Amino acid sequence: MTEMDDKFFAWLDGELSGDEAVAMEARVAADPELMRLAEQHRAMQARLKSAFDTVAETPLPERLQVAVRPPHAEVIDFRAAARARDARRWGSLPQWTAMAATLAVGILVGTAIQPHTNGPVEVQGGRMYAAAALDAALNTQLASTPGGNTRIGLTYRDQSGAICRSFTQPQASGLVCRDDDRWQVRGLFAAPEGQSGSYRMAAGMDPNLAALVDSTMAGDPFDAAQEKAAKQRGWR
Amino acid sequence: MNPSPTFEDQLTALLPRLRRFAHALSRNSADADDLTQAAIERALRSKSQWQPGTRLDSWMYRIIRNLWIDTARGRARKEKFEAPPEEAERVGEDPRDGMHASLDLKRAMVAMQRLPEEQREIVALILVEGFGYREVSEMLELPIGTVSSRLVRGRTALLAMVGEQ
Repeated sequence: MTEMDDKFFAWLDGELSGDEAVAMEARVAADPELMRLAEQHRAMQARLKSAFDTVAETPLPERLQVAVRPPHAEVIDFRAAARARDARRWGSLPQWTAMAATLAVGILVGTAIQPHTNGPVEVQGGRMYAAAALDAALNTQLASTPGGNTRIGLTYRDQSGAICRSFTQPQASGLVCRDDDRWQVRGLFAAPEGQSGSYRMAAGMDPNLAALVDSTMAGDPFDAAQEKAAKQRGWR
Repeated sequence: MNPSPTFEDQLTALLPRLRRFAHALSRNSADADDLTQAAIERALRSKSQWQPGTRLDSWMYRIIRNLWIDTARGRARKEKFEAPPEEAERVGEDPRDGMHASLDLKRAMVAMQRLPEEQREIVALILVEGFGYREVSEMLELPIGTVSSRLVRGRTALLAMVGEQ
């Protein structure tokens, strides 16, 4: 690289000032070869920049937004949580939490979720089921699947033997259990204020959802292999 | 409530640019987003080391660059023993193919990958991200003459790759 090269490009990038800039400007203006080189490099830079600008112009992947504002990484150990709760007075009354969850569902159906729009749930015969994209995600995704709009938390069997799955979406998290070939919604909880748009991971599960999960779970949550096998059996 | 934006707010505002820079360094979009995510996580962990009032963008670019170097070195060690799969995929993919007025992202990434790393980071920071020579010299802790000569070599190679208009 000659000094001339460095100077020429410094001029091209607006890095020269005063006399140096004026001198280079005059030199380029008088030299068609340099003029052409300047044009080629300007065009190349413009194309390079516009190619990479497409990245800055596309919406950010959800995972990057989540990375900036991670959900409260409060890890809930269900067994430990259950023991702790048993020590409390109302801990032996799991119905209490189930009732609270039912109440939350009722409020959501009345307000946040409009059953006739393309929401995550639909109401049929007085029961609420996962719909559309949520239904598809529950059928196909594993906890390890990097989520689109839906993330799967825990999968387990409830006391009746049905498979249940907890899930998280930007606006809400919830619990569904298999009812024939559909996912019946057992609980749906709106994301706390200021949390919508980001995920609450299973690890930082909504405490109401955590209570509902704990009150319905028989045995332990499925591990990755069990979850995969359950999917292959069609969640039966 | 708080009139001054939080660290997280400022970081969020920078994300499109940081992601663009990561793409200019990386082999593919997935690697670029992994790099961006790792940088965010590192930034949040070392938040206390950033001095409010100084430029968060330079600080973040430096984090991305350092992580990228670490990853590239780790990968180079690994790939000494295995053929990198994307070399095979890249056969026949000439960045000059179909080069017209615009350079699509994939081709731009392929072209950048052909530059030596020390030229690539400087081309990305100056020609794509718009930093000045002095800023890059401080960011990378390199003499300004080194920055300028690597830039000349990098952009000359790129011009030869992507061709003329």
